[in-house]
Amino acid sequence: MIRNNDTISPYQLAMITIMTIISVEVFSLAAEAADELGTDGWLIIVILGIINIFAALVIIRLNSIFPGKTIAEYSQIIIGKVPGKVLTGLFAVYLIIVIAYVTRVFTEVVKMFLLFRTPTEVIMLSLVLVCTYTVRGGVECVARVNELVFPILFIPFFIVLIFGYPIMDFSNLLPVLQTPPEKILASIPRMIFSFGGIELALYYIGFMKEPGKAYKPLIISIIFILLFFVMITVFCIAAFGAKTVTKIIWPLAAYIRTVSLPGVFLERLDGVILSLWVLTVFTTIVSVLFIASYSISKAAGTKEQKQYVLPLVMIIYYLALQPQSLAELYEWGNLIFPYAVAAFMYVVPAALLLTAKLRKMGVKRNESD
Amino acid sequence: MGFLSNRKSGKDKKEKEMGKLINSKNVDENKRRLKERLKDCDDIVYKEFRVGEQQDLKFLLVYADGMSSSDMLNDAVLNALMVHAREVPPEAKEPGEELYKLVRYGGLPASELADKDNLEDAVLAILIGDAVLFIDTTEKCIVIGAKGWPMRGVSEPNTEALIRGPRDGFTETFRVNTALVRRRIRDSRLKLKQLRVGKRSFTDIGVMYIEDIVSPELLEEVFRRIDTIDIDAIIESGYIEQLIEDDYMSPFPQISVTERPDEVAASLYEGRVAILVDNSPFALIVPTTLNSLFQSPEDYYDRWYVASILRFIRYMASILSMVLPAAYIAVTSFHPGILPAKLVISMAAARQGIPFPVLIEAFIMEVTFELLREAGLRLPVPIGSAIGIVGGIVIGSAAVEAGIVSPIMVIIVAITAISSFSIPNYSLAVGFRMLRFLLMIFAGTMGLYGIMLGVLLILSHLVKLKSFGIPYMSPYVSFVGSDFKDTIVRVPTFLMAKRPVLLARDKIRLKNNRNLINRLEQEEGSDDKK
Repeated sequence: MIRNNDTISPYQLAMITIMTIISVEVFSLAAEAADELGTDGWLIIVILGIINIFAALVIIRLNSIFPGKTIAEYSQIIIGKVPGKVLTGLFAVYLIIVIAYVTRVFTEVVKMFLLFRTPTEVIMLSLVLVCTYTVRGGVECVARVNELVFPILFIPFFIVLIFGYPIMDFSNLLPVLQTPPEKILASIPRMIFSFGGIELALYYIGFMKEPGKAYKPLIISIIFILLFFVMITVFCIAAFGAKTVTKIIWPLAAYIRTVSLPGVFLERLDGVILSLWVLTVFTTIVSVLFIASYSISKAAGTKEQKQYVLPLVMIIYYLALQPQSLAELYEWGNLIFPYAVAAFMYVVPAALLLTAKLRKMGVKRNESD
Repeated sequence: MGFLSNRKSGKDKKEKEMGKLINSKNVDENKRRLKERLKDCDDIVYKEFRVGEQQDLKFLLVYADGMSSSDMLNDAVLNALMVHAREVPPEAKEPGEELYKLVRYGGLPASELADKDNLEDAVLAILIGDAVLFIDTTEKCIVIGAKGWPMRGVSEPNTEALIRGPRDGFTETFRVNTALVRRRIRDSRLKLKQLRVGKRSFTDIGVMYIEDIVSPELLEEVFRRIDTIDIDAIIESGYIEQLIEDDYMSPFPQISVTERPDEVAASLYEGRVAILVDNSPFALIVPTTLNSLFQSPEDYYDRWYVASILRFIRYMASILSMVLPAAYIAVTSFHPGILPAKLVISMAAARQGIPFPVLIEAFIMEVTFELLREAGLRLPVPIGSAIGIVGGIVIGSAAVEAGIVSPIMVIIVAITAISSFSIPNYSLAVGFRMLRFLLMIFAGTMGLYGIMLGVLLILSHLVKLKSFGIPYMSPYVSFVGSDFKDTIVRVPTFLMAKRPVLLARDKIRLKNNRNLINRLEQEEGSDDKK
């Protein structure tokens, strides 16, 4: 009545972006970075962050040609009805795979650190069903959950991270900048998934009243994530050393396990922090699941997205149970995501923007402004 | 024409079938009709009397005994017409319209008079507590406002006691309640729209708002929802609350209820709408947000840091009352590693020999506590304290000694209980108590992870919830800077310059006078130097 039901504010866009991008890969981020570049692991994150700022600029530019429209709507204008629907459908398939992957990784983390004997299926299904409840509330609900969860998650998390300083030895970060540039470039594909999620802005900017206001929140949130990732990588490498970090599956979890807060009677914080970490996985799944169901409803030409959520859960559940082990899971991830993320984050927006420019779309709109 | 007249007579017939009453010019006929309608209503008084030099003008006064003030009727009607009319005879040459006007405008020293020419309205007026005067030879009757039933005086509200603040509370009488609010808002823009809801009870409902502050959409929505109510009787404002609330499945109250006129007035100044219901000392305030349920009127009367600390304690209490038993269950049965080794050992030692899993143990104690609370509430005060002793000392320590529950569990339940009592809003506290059991089940099955899932479920629900179009979690989800001044921290009063942005239209409520005060001090200071 007083606030429209399907718009989000710039602040909410930033929260959605941050909370979507930061999810399970944070646990293994330091290991992967160190594995690729050793002590220079943080460098690849900085480079990826800068690349992604440009990707975000492309996305915003594309969206501002079609204010109030999501990619599911304007792709049908740019490349025609059927190809647009096919693209939207592919997008949905990609997002479903992302959810299945994230769910499975998180389930493994929970099994290792929190619930040792609980069946994988129970952990997975309970998480996805709670997400379903939220997604059925629509975009407004998704945005607000992201907004509320952000401080609940990050305030305790930063406190715990900083109190790890006694175990950190920054000489572990030396030597600096010893990696040849071609090796850095070669490592980009493997790390690309850690920033996966920016492509959701293709949709979420469409829910904003003024897409022009998307620049600030989107870029600030990418910088925030960039700094956060660098911080995690640097802390983990400083704490364990680059060689050891590569041997740990989830260095961040190991790092938190070693932290002890002075004066707080809790002895081991990994349980607490990992249960807080449910929040970020939850927000990731919620944001992605909403867009997946929205994409399917757009591809199918229906108005409501609600009814697609529960069937999607079945598919996600099935997909997530396919890998037999964690190693197989990561293998699959490394096989699919470098190409999929690159395609949907860089290639698709750039190609669409180019086509729209060549077809002189949105030019009139700009002139009338 | 024949068709038309047919239709008309048909209408008459229908009215008669439905028992509609039509006034007659004859008082006796009116009396007969009234008696027919109010058959077996022995509390209705029919006072017939004659006026005039020749005692030939027939009058009939009808009222419900006990509902109307007989002092007032004796004084304003009977005395005036029977005694004074004899001293100064009315100069009506002929009965009928002229006599009626004479009585209506000159004969009755009562402040509240109304004309009615429909017997149906007259019956309603009688049942509401007014008196109706019939005069022979005229069809009209006069309704005399003589409501005066026994009523409770204005007293301190029991459920919302404050240390500092006004001591008056609403009563069961609608008019008293509206007056208590009006006394606090002497503004012509304070509006009171009265409606009657209930096909049998004809309960008075007053919608109060300040015209230029309230948002028109909200007002429209309130009236629209009240209009949809079709019920036989409204006994208490809870009926209205449940019929117009947004989500009936939610454990959280979406309409706040208060006995305090000062709270109603403050809410009206914020741009909310109050609904007052006759026969109920509880006023409804819409829209309500979670944040507003944590506010107590005292927060604004006390100095700001006192209020802020109390707010913080209340928020903490609500979280504790919801999460504490669940956290205990999760930590003891899933993650003992979180706690220091010494504590774990002492906890394990305390649980030695207890036959139940922690979840069952917690349920036993929590249910026992709920039983005690409910029993204590229903009993008269002297016995109620006995329940406290039986519950707290006998059951608590006996249960521990018998080895049914561990002493730590008793402590947990006690802290939970105290926390849940420090939430200012009763129905909110009940909501948190219900959710506590949900979280306990989650914790018992999936540990801390389960608690987080439960919390996320609650959070998602809260985020979805709206009260009359306002997000229930605002301002936490709207991020309007000025609205944050009245959340966990209640900033100093002079800084609260704006009304809640989502609600109100006339935004500015005060001007910062701090610099004016300081300027005066500085000037005085410089005078001293001279």
